[in-house]
Order: sequence, then C-alpha cells, then structure tokens
Amino acid sequence: MNNIWLIAKREYLEQVKGRAFKLTTIGLPAIFAAIVGISYLANLGIGANEHLVVASDDTVLAKEIQARLLSDKKGKSTVDVVKATEAERTAILEQVRTRAVDGLLWVDSKPGALPTATYYSPSSGDFITAGGLKDALSDALIKEHLTSAGMKEADVDAVVKGIAVDTYQVKKDGQMVASNAMASFWKGYVMAILLSMTTMIYGMNVARSVIQEKTSRIFEVMLAIAKPEDMLAGKLIGVAAVGMTQIAIWLATGTAIFISPLAAAAMTGNMKIHFSWTEGILFPVYFLLGYLLYSSLFAGLAATCETEQELQMYMPLAAAPTWLSFAMILLIMNDSNSVWSVLASLFPPTAPIVMFLRMASQTPPLWQIGLSIGLMVVSIWGVLWFSSRLYRVGILMYGKRATLPEILRWVRYS
Amino acid sequence: MTVVELESVTKAYESKVAVSELSLKVEGGQMFGLLGPNGAGKTSTIRMMMGITIPDSGSIRLFDKPFDRKALERVGYLPEERGLYKKMKVVEQLVFFGQLHGLEPGEARKRAKAWAERMEIAESLDKKTEELSKGMQQKIQFIASVMHDPGLIVMDEPFSGLDPVNAVLVEKTLLELKAEGRAIIFSTHRMDQVEKLCDSICLVNNGRAVLAGRVREIKGSYERNRVVVEFEGSAEFLKSEEIAEAKNFSGHAEIKLQEHGDAQKLLHEAAAMAKIYRFELVEPSLEEIFIQTVGGNKE
Repeated sequence: MNNIWLIAKREYLEQVKGRAFKLTTIGLPAIFAAIVGISYLANLGIGANEHLVVASDDTVLAKEIQARLLSDKKGKSTVDVVKATEAERTAILEQVRTRAVDGLLWVDSKPGALPTATYYSPSSGDFITAGGLKDALSDALIKEHLTSAGMKEADVDAVVKGIAVDTYQVKKDGQMVASNAMASFWKGYVMAILLSMTTMIYGMNVARSVIQEKTSRIFEVMLAIAKPEDMLAGKLIGVAAVGMTQIAIWLATGTAIFISPLAAAAMTGNMKIHFSWTEGILFPVYFLLGYLLYSSLFAGLAATCETEQELQMYMPLAAAPTWLSFAMILLIMNDSNSVWSVLASLFPPTAPIVMFLRMASQTPPLWQIGLSIGLMVVSIWGVLWFSSRLYRVGILMYGKRATLPEILRWVRYS
Repeated sequence: MTVVELESVTKAYESKVAVSELSLKVEGGQMFGLLGPNGAGKTSTIRMMMGITIPDSGSIRLFDKPFDRKALERVGYLPEERGLYKKMKVVEQLVFFGQLHGLEPGEARKRAKAWAERMEIAESLDKKTEELSKGMQQKIQFIASVMHDPGLIVMDEPFSGLDPVNAVLVEKTLLELKAEGRAIIFSTHRMDQVEKLCDSICLVNNGRAVLAGRVREIKGSYERNRVVVEFEGSAEFLKSEEIAEAKNFSGHAEIKLQEHGDAQKLLHEAAAMAKIYRFELVEPSLEEIFIQTVGGNKE
C-alpha cells in the first residue's frame, strides 16, 4: 500500500508541476469561453446595420414588412420601400452587386392569389436574414388578410405576436420546476463534452506515461522493488488525482464566475441553468468510473507498444463510444426513457456521457443509475484484470509492438 | 551468511529455455561475477533473483530465507537498461527510490546528500535528471541502488558509460561496500574487471552453469602454458617450434606454448636473439578461459 501511495504521489506531483497541466487548466476553459464569447458577439451582430430594399406593387404589404423588419430589437438596419418596376429592379440589383445595398426582397403580388417573393443578396448563405424576411412577409400577409376580413388591427397584432408557453418540469415528488428545453439541452451537452474530454485526456495521459517509462527503461528499476499491480494502481490513482484537481479548479472558477454579477447579467430569464445536487455528485463519480475504464484499458495497451505513434492505432477504441454517445443525442433528448436511451446509459463504454445527456431532460430512475454504476464497476474490474496481465509482460518486452496473438498469449500465461 | 542461493532454477519463455537447472550461492562480503555471452541467461537469472519474473521450477533464497518480496528492500539493483525519471530533480528522485526501499523521507534526503558528496556529484542534486550527462546519470543510478544500505547489491554492467576516473571511483566504492560485508553480484563482459574484483564467478552459457568457483582456483586449474616476454632486438625467436601462437606488440609478446612446449628451451632461444627484460610463465587470463569455455575448447 505504501508503494502505491508513493508511486501515485510521484505521478501526481510530476504531472501537476508540468507545463501541460497548466496549459490545459487555463487553456480549455479559455477556449470554451472564447467559443461562447465569439458566438454571443456574432449573434449580436447578425442582421445589424444592414441596408435592405423591399420592392412591391402592394405598398401596404411592403410597409408592413418594413415595420416588422425594423421592430427587430437587435437590428439597426435600414429598410427602404420602393415600387416594383423593372427599372428599379435593374438599378437596385446593380447596387446589390456593388454592395451598396445588402439585399433586395422582390414581392410579386397577384390579385386573387398569394404573392411570390424572391430575395437577392451578395451572400449565398445569408439564411438568418432570409429567415427573418420570411417571418416578416408571412406576418405582414396574415395581417393584411385578417384586417381586410374586418378584424381589428390591435387584435391582429396580438394574434400574430403569438403566445408564450411557460414550461414546467414535474418531479417525482410532485415538485414543479420551471424548465427550459434549450437550456437543459445545452447543460447536458456541455457536461457530456466536459466528461468525455477529461476522461479521454486523462486516459491518454496514463497511456503516455506508461510508454515514457517503458522507453526510459525505468520499469526494470521499479519492478525490482514494486509489484507491477502496485505500479499500475499507483499510476491510475496519481493521474486520477490530477484530473480531479483540474476539475476542482474548473468547478471553483466556474462557480465564482457563475455567481458573479457579470454572469447574472449575461444569463437572464430563460437561459438560467439549474444544477442539482445529484448532478454535482454524479459528475465526479462518472468521471472517475469513465476514467478508470479507459485508462486501465489504455495502460495495458500502452505496455504492448514502443512509441506513442503505435498507440495511435488503438485510438478509435477510445473514440468510438464517444462518437456513438453523441450520435444518439437527438434520440436521447427527444425521449430519454426510450429503450435505446436506457440501454446506452447502461452500456459501460457509453454510460457516463449518455447518462448525463438523459439527466439533462429528466433524472433517470435511481435503479438505472445504480445499475449503470454497478455495470461500470464490474467492467472496470474485468478490464483491470486483462490490462494488468498485458502490463506485467508488456513492460519488459522491448523491440516491437506486440501482435494480437502475442497479446492473447501474454494474457494466458501471465 | 548465505545472502542469495539459487537451487536448480529453470525458466523458459515460449520456445526458448532461458535458464536451466542453475544453482549458485553468494556469501556476505563476497564479490561474485555472473558471466556469459549475450543471451546466455544472465539477465533472466537476475530478474528471477529480483522477483521481476518467477522461476518455472527450483528455488530462490534471499538472506537465508525462502524468497519474499519484503526482502527486496534489502537489495540494491542496477539494471543494464538504466532508467531514471528525466523530469525529476536528482534529489527528489533519490528520495523517491529511498522511500520505496523503506527509508523515511528525512533519512532518505540525508543519505542522498551524503552519497552525492561521496560520488562527487553534490552540485547536481538540484538539477533535473535530463540536464545531466550520461555518466552523471549513471552515478545517480548507482547511488539509488546503494543508498538504502542493502545487504545484497546486484549490478548489471556497472562500469558502462563511465570515464576512467569515474570507473575507478565506482570500483573503489564497490570494494568498500564489500569490505563492509555486503554481497555484490555483478554481471559484465569486462573480464579484466572480473579478474581484478571478483572472488568467485559463475559462467553461464545457454542457460546452464558451465564453469563456477573461486577465481583463484579456476585459474589454478588451467595449465601454465602462457608466456609473457618483454624484449629488445630480433623477434625471430617467436618462430620457435615450442610456440603454438604468438602476438607481438613491438617489444611485448604474448605467447601460447605447444601442448608439450618447453618454456626453458624457448627462454634460451630468445636470450640468444634478443635482450630479455621479462620472461614470465603465466596462467591463462579469465578472458581466454571465457572464450575457450564458451567455445567448448577447454584445455
């Protein structure tokens, strides 16, 4: 036990003092913040300061479209209304070509039929503006039809504006919590990404450390005093502690930012995200289980390799369950209790990520969480059994990467 | 006290028998040479002594008791394939290895400093291992294997990578450790060092002990049919009928006599042709014995 502790401590201190730890501790959240910041800024800028022209024979309809486009709070656009003539069309299209005008909405009204509309813009992928135009055109058309049918303008506005639907999640105990599907989705998604990233990063850290020790021939010295099982256990514990330290730093920083006035201002109303105690406890639990599953497998496989390049061959083994989990994201979000969602959250390689995606929409039954943890513990035990055999033989084998038949032989005779 | 004893130890890997029915015994205060050509089974034997691998049959005893991992705390091991944690500071590395061998952290630090002074690398204690030369790293590895006061020290090629000054320092230290009563096993290809340092040897070939015993007795069992001559003048006497083989290094000749060659007759012939400063009848060197035995030509 003393040796395990000493090896874990050495591994922990070396990695925590290393440059990679400092870089990822600061770098990963910085990248996340940058992505969120950039999309926020980009979102602010969408549709702003644009100069659009609406051309139609029906000036009432055109004015209505103009009013709707200008009512967009985010937009500081200029919208001109012109009569639809062939000369105007040619002139404005020339302005679109020279970028003097950002877009032209051409509305052809035909008596007794729905008008048709065409949008011309210098950019082929301006789907956000095009989407906004479609809404404005539809709303304006509905208003025109309803008012001409005798409905009061104020009533029409109220109908067109639509009705907000408040959503509440009813918990098992009857408690009702205001919920927001989008916020829940993002929370589940971000937690699943963090979980898969940390699990993979630290699983690979263990593998890399095994290969480095094998290359530096330190195993021979270590094996003369410590058992291979102790060395493997020490390494797994040491690196797990590094991961937990990093997660703790992120959580502390995240909480500090979350409760700051800045965050309160940024995350108002519906986007407010609620974290439950269950999630707070299960996140480190699933990190540890996922990490142990991957890292013990990779420690064994790393012992059969000579270089990190050779280890790359096994990368799909680690990545496949993650791809599978994220591929199921829509299925899980739509029906988190479907057979497939439940099975994927019980299957050990996909369990951590899928369980968190399920938890985002509703807390799964306790027995399912318990069963998934139980299955993970059993499979970790199995993988450790397999890996410690590979490790014991592999770390003393130099020269070339072991082939599959060799690996199977090692497992049999060690 | 018998520090290490192997009895009929056998170890096979898949298709190859690495060690076969090997027995040897090393006492405290003894310097023991484990010799043999490449692939003879030396490293496999050492790995079994260190509990890195387990013998298929036979028994290993350490410090007069059946093998027990706890006893490894009293063993120091310098493997042929050196390994240190490159990013660690030298002193931290030594403390880590000391602790693995059961020392308290404070005591390990104290001993690391004392040994660093003794091995003349005290100024490197606070450097990272990767900043040091290969020879310096070798000395650190040496300290790591002896700083916990082991009763048995196992060294695989301890002088490789060392310059002559440091080789002498390590040699001197090993002799001091031996004088303190520790058993030292070393495995090497440098026969001159074995001849100089070892009391006993075991020569292994194809996993079997082909020659074992005290160096003095082994050498004594071979006929004195080598002559070393230092001379000035004509080297014509080297063509004498008494000589089977001769190497002439301008004024220094090493001669192997015919099976019934007469050394006295050769001395007369030599004296008639050249001025003789030295004419000595010697035993074969350990290197010659090694080559003959491994080649199956023991005279």
